[in-house]
Formats: sequence, structure tokens, C-alpha cells
Amino acid sequence: MELSVAMSGVVKRFGAVQALAGVDLELRPGEIHALLGENGAGKTTLMNVLYGMFSPDAGAISVGGREVNFRSPHDAIAAGVGMVHQHFKLVPTLTVAENMVLGQRGGPLLRRRELAAVSARLRALADRYGLDVDPDARVWQLSVGEQQRVEILRALYRDARILVLDEPTATLTPPETQRLFPKLRALAAEGASIVFITHHLEDVIEWADRITVLRRGERVGTLKPADSSAEDLARMMVGRDVRLMRVVAGEAPTAGEGRALRQRESAAPVLEVEGLQARGDRGTTALHDVSFSVAPGEILAIAGVEGNGQPELEEAVFGLRAPEAGTVTLDGRDVTRCEPAERMRLGMGLVPSDRYRRGLIRELSVAENLALDRLGRPPFGTELRLDRQAIAKHAADLIERFSIQVSGPEQLAGTLSGGNAQRLVLARTLSRELRCLVAAQPTRGLDVGAIEFVWEQLAAARDCGVAILLISTDLDEVMSMADRCCVMYRGGLVADWSRERLDREKVGLAMGGASNGGPPRAAAAAEGPV
Amino acid sequence: MSVSQAATRPLWLPPQSRRLRAGLSSLGAVLLSLVVGGVLVLIAGGEPVSAYGALIDGAFGSPYAIGQMLVLAVPLLIMGLGLALAFRGRVYNVGAEGQLFMGALAGGVVAIFLPVAFDPLLIAASIFAGMAAGAAWGGIVGVLRARWGVNEVITSLLLNFVAILIFTYCVRRPLRAPGSPDLQGRSIDPNAALPVLPDLAVHVGVFLAIALVPLAAYLMARTPFGMRVRMLGFNAEAARAAGVSSRRMVMALMLISGGLAGLAGVLQTLGVSERLDLGISQGYGFTAIVVALLGRLNATGVLLAAVFIAVLQSGGQAMSVTEGLPYAIVLAIPGVFVVFLLIADRLARG
Amino acid sequence: MDWGEIFGPGALVVLLSSSVAFAMPTALAAVGETVVERAGILNLGVEGMLLSGALASFLVAYYAKSVALGALAGIAIGVGLGALMAFLSVTLGTEQIINGIAIVLLAQGITAFTFEELFGGEEQPTIGGIADVDIPLLHEIPGVGPVLFEQNVLFYISVALAIAVALLLTRTRFGLSVRAVGESPAAADAAAVSVARTRWLALLIGGGMAGMGGAVLVLGQLNLFETNVSAGRGWIAVALVIFGRWNPLLVLGGAFVFGFTDALQIRVQAVSGGIASTVPTEIFAALPYVVTLIVMVAATVWAGRDAQPGALGAPFRKGVSA
Repeated sequence: MELSVAMSGVVKRFGAVQALAGVDLELRPGEIHALLGENGAGKTTLMNVLYGMFSPDAGAISVGGREVNFRSPHDAIAAGVGMVHQHFKLVPTLTVAENMVLGQRGGPLLRRRELAAVSARLRALADRYGLDVDPDARVWQLSVGEQQRVEILRALYRDARILVLDEPTATLTPPETQRLFPKLRALAAEGASIVFITHHLEDVIEWADRITVLRRGERVGTLKPADSSAEDLARMMVGRDVRLMRVVAGEAPTAGEGRALRQRESAAPVLEVEGLQARGDRGTTALHDVSFSVAPGEILAIAGVEGNGQPELEEAVFGLRAPEAGTVTLDGRDVTRCEPAERMRLGMGLVPSDRYRRGLIRELSVAENLALDRLGRPPFGTELRLDRQAIAKHAADLIERFSIQVSGPEQLAGTLSGGNAQRLVLARTLSRELRCLVAAQPTRGLDVGAIEFVWEQLAAARDCGVAILLISTDLDEVMSMADRCCVMYRGGLVADWSRERLDREKVGLAMGGASNGGPPRAAAAAEGPV
Repeated sequence: MSVSQAATRPLWLPPQSRRLRAGLSSLGAVLLSLVVGGVLVLIAGGEPVSAYGALIDGAFGSPYAIGQMLVLAVPLLIMGLGLALAFRGRVYNVGAEGQLFMGALAGGVVAIFLPVAFDPLLIAASIFAGMAAGAAWGGIVGVLRARWGVNEVITSLLLNFVAILIFTYCVRRPLRAPGSPDLQGRSIDPNAALPVLPDLAVHVGVFLAIALVPLAAYLMARTPFGMRVRMLGFNAEAARAAGVSSRRMVMALMLISGGLAGLAGVLQTLGVSERLDLGISQGYGFTAIVVALLGRLNATGVLLAAVFIAVLQSGGQAMSVTEGLPYAIVLAIPGVFVVFLLIADRLARG
Repeated sequence: MDWGEIFGPGALVVLLSSSVAFAMPTALAAVGETVVERAGILNLGVEGMLLSGALASFLVAYYAKSVALGALAGIAIGVGLGALMAFLSVTLGTEQIINGIAIVLLAQGITAFTFEELFGGEEQPTIGGIADVDIPLLHEIPGVGPVLFEQNVLFYISVALAIAVALLLTRTRFGLSVRAVGESPAAADAAAVSVARTRWLALLIGGGMAGMGGAVLVLGQLNLFETNVSAGRGWIAVALVIFGRWNPLLVLGGAFVFGFTDALQIRVQAVSGGIASTVPTEIFAALPYVVTLIVMVAATVWAGRDAQPGALGAPFRKGVSA
């Protein structure tokens, strides 16, 4: 049988970093192939090479038996390769049909008739593969799942025979995932080759025909799911036995939990949010009547699929976005109108979801970054004098306590890896006097070691009595960290479970909008905006 | 790895290793601009070497020439410092020209009408009024940007026209010098005129301007405020999340840079024209932008840049007379300059 | 001062007619800038492009005695400065705000030098005006006819050009690319649209439109050049883009608000009696700037910024990881 894709000895370097160290990959027509590996293992880079986004430094690629040398995605598309990126590459202000036309060659004029023809063809494709999408809707109005279908449709629209999906399940609810794969299977049945990138073992075992595992830019092996267990795959992926897996399985993350539970029952809530409503950047309602409270020593996890108002919630609670209605109360004090500075003074901290955009300043040193939020107060000098020595000393201390790997405190923060950047953010935030912590997507994009570290730190803060609002799209994280869990769906909160009643399947269903299982208050919220 | 937008590049470079390259690229831009100036001299029918000779002579040839050069450097330096600070925080105030005129107007009115016989007090009151007026004019821009995110470049620029028209109206009607037929404003109280150094004929404002340099340097590098300005310039989102109030910072930067422009206006009025005069600025508010950029938004750099531009313009005036060349050559150079500077700066970073 | 001379029955038609004419230079520049901003570039060099276009068209019209060549020269110099802006902002990726300011300073210096070098010390040079052309039938419509259809050729060309550029955004493949790279350059790049090329082209168009605006100002309206003759029209154009919510047709409409205030202040100056006048003519002279400021601020405050292109002002570098 002729291979649809053969990549051999692919090498790709970015500066001093070797992202791919001679990787081989073979795809057969009609198969669903999983590319498994940790963050930073080189999965996405390998696929970007196949898609013509990066040209390899060494190695050969052939598609359909012919040697190819893609200089741009355009070449790859012409050769029948389609890619669905993890962060969709759709222009939100354009319609679905316009997104299809974008970048396609043709005459200078864009006629209404042409767009209508595109819409018609999209409808036909959508019907054939069960990928229902309105071609005339603007992309920003679509849900994440719909946007993914648009991306798949775009690849099919361009006659892709090889379809690459980067982390297709990361932004989907479990039920949506269950619907996605049969559609991919139908595609494969027509002879297409499908590769999907993931680090979720369940997806791989359930849906892949073959699995290729990558670690640190090298291929560890290619095997069939029937020939291996989840433990084997995990070991291949990480290179050692992983404690994390036990945590994922839902066992108690820390010994302090019982104590924390007792603390919670008697204490008044630290953070109370009541009827919060806010608009997103495009002026549409992003948060609708959100109410919850977090007690000292409690982690309230807000689960949910991306695109349901999480950034707006993070911003509104911390004072980075002005709410239209509702109140945020911190230790009984109304802080709805307070700037972040004031909230921080009262003991609120933030681990932002976008750590490079909000968490640190790339152009400043690690030492300066560790002192950003405490300038002008002793021991860092006064408003009239910055005590550089105190800043350096403070930095040395935190670098050690939080094991931040740096060449020195003067290293620029922009050069830190994702895990170290997050350690820096945690070090700065957790070394304050905290009453309440907003932790948004705290482990997104981190590798296993860093994830363990972040979870330990959060658990430790919780055991010290900090009230933690954990906003996460990662169901594993929610399952292992939450003392209580709400689900965010379309800007409202659905369900409210205590840890004892927490059930992976129920949470997954609620993430998709099924409003069963929650107590009455939460069920009412689910009736919110649609 | 994915394709994404790069963060907007900051204008100035971090210290240490890159400082040398930055200095070299500034120097390169200076040299290139001088070459272009030479070409312009050729176009105008002059001879570049003797023209530059005449320029240097015009700026340094006599104590009086030096004095004239310094007098010109004062407003450029003062405004350049304010703009450098604001630009560091990415608050692009291009309204220094208007803020200067509002400062001159308010300071001038005090110096004309305030019945105080004691000179230092009168001068201080005048300076205070001028700085307050400049700060207020800049503050309008600050409020609009801080409160509603209105682009400060456009507002500050448009307010220049408004300020100059207000000033024009005042010297044409209510504050016209009695008996003067044209646009000549009233003279200030002689007690308010700034003392002038003998020989050099420089008003004492020059000392104030020079004293501002270390003050600004300290503010930028050694205080939490200066650090917050840098944070704002590098990454406003992260600065806000770390508890820096961007609204307050934007206001502060507009008030400071506006106040300094107002100060420049008062000094021009009390030390140079000694009357309300539309001629106190030949677009100095814009030249100060060049000064701030050429000086790499750094206090010492701004000092050097202000002197350099002042030599060019003051010497250029003498050159145009002795060599029979249009003075506009000198006006053309700063613009050429900035463009070369931007390119050199980018190339220096590789 | 007799307000009847300005707002009287006969005078009003003259006022409105000149409002429409005076709006044109700004309108052209503003529509061009709309395209540039929709492509994600904040070009603050419009004033410099307009000013340079004004001088170039004046010089060519003065020496070659040709309005058409003058207009082409204006466009050409605008395109040239657009290319400079593109080189700095797209190719080098330096801070766009500063690049724009630099281009204004450059243009102000070079135009002052050139004009002084050629005409310094001489009497103010002027060029002949162009005759108005009455559009048959349409110009007989009462009220509207004399205002819109008794203008000069440049006016009609300008209107056609502004509308054509407006349609460029919505009705062409290039316009689609412009909208995409301004909103989400990474997505456009992934769809094989060249972000750099699209932004370059947008800036060449924007520069040409601003240069044409300068030409219309000099050739069709003032018939002379003087230092800084553009008098902030380029900045007003940038403000109008915000006022018009990045929609070229609304921007075009906004330009007429400016044109009216400009025509009004010129009429006031003309009938008030010059420097000795007790009428505060400066207040009227400030009107175009103040009104522009107010409408721009009002548009920002009430309508918010959600119409602003998502990537406005942010340089795009291919292949840089997040």
C-alpha cells in the first residue's frame, strides 16, 4: 500500500533549541494516526513542517509518493495537506464563506455570486460529513466546536487528503469529542489520512489506528493501541513513571485536605461574587448573572470549555474589566469598583491565564519581575528611591524557594521557558500576603513536571487558608484540585458540586451545556443567555 | 511553536551590552543626516564644507553665539526631557507646541498683571502659572486617553492648533501691546524678566534646564515611578495586573510633559521675548520630539541631543546669512534625522 | 459683522458648495487612511503625505502648467512616502506611531526647504484655478444641484476615487485580505495571505490618496502653496477614521462635517474685516479642530472601540512563537 505521507529524519532548530532531532513519520491512507507527546515534545513543530509553515533544516518529506519541498502552507494545501490549528486560524470578523475565499487565488473582484457559490458548496460538504455550520455566519458568533468544524470544512473545501488536527479535543467538551471522532472516521473511510496531536491518553486509545509517541524532539516509537496500555504510553511520553497519573485518577492531592474541609465549614467566605455581568471585547454579553463564593482554605474550580467567558470572569473578578452589573466582595468589603492595585492591597492575587501578556514583562529582568507589585514600599525602598539591592536579594530568595531555573536574577524574563515563567508568576503572587487567589489556566501549556509543581503550590496555598478561584478548561486539573466545582457555560455558571459529589462524566456533560445534576440555584443560572 | 504577533518593539534599548550599539546607531544617523544636509547645501548652490564651517562658527564663534545657541537649547532640553519620560511610558504627547503656548500665555499674564514688586516671587508665580497651564492643556489629553482610551497623538496634535489660535486671539485683541498695529502682545513687567548672564546673553533659565537633567535621570532610573513608566511602556497589561494604575500613570505623564512644555513657554516669555509673542517658538514643540528620540529617551542623551540640535539650528541661522543659503536647510535636517535614526536603531538590533 | 453674508439665502448655497469642496482633501486622505488602518497599520504620517502631495502638485502645476500632471505628481509623492512608512512599519517593524510622526517631521522639513529654496524672498507664487463644470441636468436640481454638481473636475474625480476605494474594501479579493490582516494577521498568514504584501499595498494606496488630497487642496482650492499649507488636515483625517468607525463611507461623511466648519471659518474671516476685526475670528478658525476633536471623542466614548481593527498598530512577524 502506498503511503500518503512519509517524513524521514526531519530536523528543525529554533536558534539554539533543537525542536526536532531527526523524526520519522509515516501515514497510510484511511488511517487515524495519533501523535502523542508532552508539551514541547515537537508534535506541533513536526506538523507545521508538514504544513509548510516551517521549512525543515534537514530530512525528506514525500506526499503521495512524490518528494515535496513546501515553502509555504500554500504549497502544502496544493498538495492536499490541510491543518486545523489548536488556536483556530479564522478571522473572527469575516463570515465562514469569506474565510474560505481568503487567500484563494482568483480574479480581483469578489462577487456576491462567488460567495454564494462558496456557501452552497460548503453546505453540500457539511451535509455529506455531518459538519453542520452556517456559511454566512460571522466566525466570532460561532461556538468553539462550530469553529473547529469550520476549520475541518476549510481543509475539505480545499480538497485535503491529509488532515492534521492540532489538539482537537483540548477545546471540546467530552460529548463534542464523542461526536467529532466518528466524523473523522467517516473521512478516513473515504481514504483520507488523519493525524491528530494530543497528550490525552484516552483519546488515543479510543480512536487512533496507530500512535506515534514523541519526546524531546525524537520519535520514541510507533505502535497500535491494542499493543500497549495507558501506563506504557505515559511512560514513553514522559520518560519516567509519573506520579501525576494517580492525581489524575482522582485521588486526594494533599494530606491537608481534611483539615481544610473543617476550616471551611465554620468560616465566612473570603470572595463573594454576586450577579456579575460583563461584556466581552466585541461588546456582546460575556458574563451573565455569575454568582459564587469561595471560603478560606477552599479551591472553587470553574470548569468549562474555552470560549464560555473565562477570560472575562478572570478580568472582572480581579478588576481588569469593568462589570456592567453585580458585585465582587472581598472579606465583606465591596471591591467592585476598585482598581487591581486596591484589590491587591486587600489580599487578592492573580495568576493570569496569559502569563506572557499579563504575568510578566519580558523586557525586564527576573529580579525586577519578582518585585513588580511591591515597588515603593519597604523593604524595597520608598516612593523616592528604588532599593535595587533589596530587589536582588528578594529575587535570589524566591528563585531558590520556587526553583526557578535561571542563569541569574538579571536574566530577561522573556527568555524563560513556559514552566519557569509560571514559577516566576507564582513566586511573585504567592509571596504576598494573600487572602484570595484567582488562578486562571495555571497549567496551560506546561509539561508534566511544571504541572505537578503548580498543583503543589496551589494546594499549599489552600492549606494555608487562601481562598482559591481556579478557572480551568482542563478537566483533569479540575478533577484533581477542586474542593468544589462549578461549570461555566455560555457566560453563566451551571451546576455546583462539592468534592464528594464530583463526577467526571457529569462535569463533562455540564461543560457541554447539559444542565442536569446541579443544585437548584445553579440550574437556574443555566437558563441564562443563549 | 506558532505564528503570532510580535510585541511592539520598545523604542529605547535596555542598558548594558546594547548601549554601545545604540550610541553607535545614533552617531550613524547623525552622520548620515549631516551628509544629507551637505547634499541640500549643494542643491541650494552652496559648498558643504564651508557651510558647515559657517554653521560651527555661528554656534561657537563668539560668547554671544554660544549664548544664542544655549538659549535655543533651553526649551528643547526642557521639553525633550518631558517627552522622553512620556514616550518611555508609550504616552505619545505630540502637543508640546500647544502646551508651550498655553504656558507662555498664563505665565505671561501673571508677569504682566500680578502686582508684586519682589522679583523672585513674581518670577516664581509666573513660572508656576505657566507650568500649571501647560499641564492643564496636556491634562485634557490625559483625561481623554485615561478615561476613554482616545488616541493621545491625535488629540494632543489637534490641540496645538487650538492653543496657538487662542494665543493669537489674545495678542491680537485683549493683550495686544497698546498702540501696536500688528500681532504684538503686551510686554511683561520688567521685574519679571529673567536675569541675563553677561557676555553670553543667556537668561538664567539655562541653569534650571540643566538642573532638570539629573533630576529626570534619577526619576527614570531610581524611583518606583520611573520603573512603573517603563513597565507601562513595555507591557501595559502586565503593569496593570501588577497593580500599576495605567490611568493614573497616563495622567501623570501628560501632566509632567505638559507642565515642562509650559515651563519652556514661560522661560521663553520671561527670558527671551519679554512680551507675549507668537515668535517664541519656531515649532520647538516638534523639534523636542526629535530631541527626545535622538536622546534615546534618556536624560543625558536628551541633553546631548538638545545641544546638538541647537547648534544645528542656531549655527544654521548664521550660516544662512554668511553663506547666502536658505535657513530651511536646517529645518529639513531633523526630519531626515528621525527617519535615519529609526532605521539605524532597528538595524543595530539586528 | 453681518451673519446674513454667511447664512443668507444666496450665501448659504455658496457656503455649502465650498463646504463640500473643502472637505475633499481631507476626505481623500481619510478614506485612504481607512484602508491602511483596516490593514492593521496606524499611519500617523498622513499629514506629511498630504503636505508633500500639496507641494509636489503645486510645483509641477506651476512649472509644467498642467493640472493633470500636478495631480499625478501629488499622488506619486504620496505613494513614495507610503512606501517609506511601509518600509519602516512593515519591513523593519518599528513602532508605527513614531514612524508616522517621523514622516510628518520629514515632510515638513523637506517641503519648507524646497519651497524656500525655489521661491524664497519672491512674491507668493500662484497657479491658475480650474473652472467649475456644471453637470447637465443634475446641477439644475434646486438646492442640491449648485452644491454638488457645479464643482471642478478634480472634485468629481475625488468623489469617484473615494467611493472606489471604499468599494475596494468590500468588493474585492484584495479588500478581503486587507480586512483579514488588520483583524487577525496570524489567521490571514495561515490562509496563505501575505501580511507584509497586503500591508505594503494598503500603505501605497493610503499614501497615494493622501498625496491626491494635497493635490486637490492646492490645485482645486487654494491655488498656492505656503509652508505647512496642510494645516492639520492629515491629522483630522486620522481622527475622522475613528469618528467613521473604520467604515469608509461613514468616514467620507465625516469629512463633510470638517468641510463645513472649514468653509464657515473662511467665510467668517472674509467678511469680518481682517486683523482689526472685533470678531474673534480665531475661534472660528479653531472650529475645524475643535469640532473634529469633539466628534472623535464622542465616537470613542459612546460607540466604544469594538469597530477598531483587532491588530491595529501591532507589527506582525512571521514565525515568531507566542
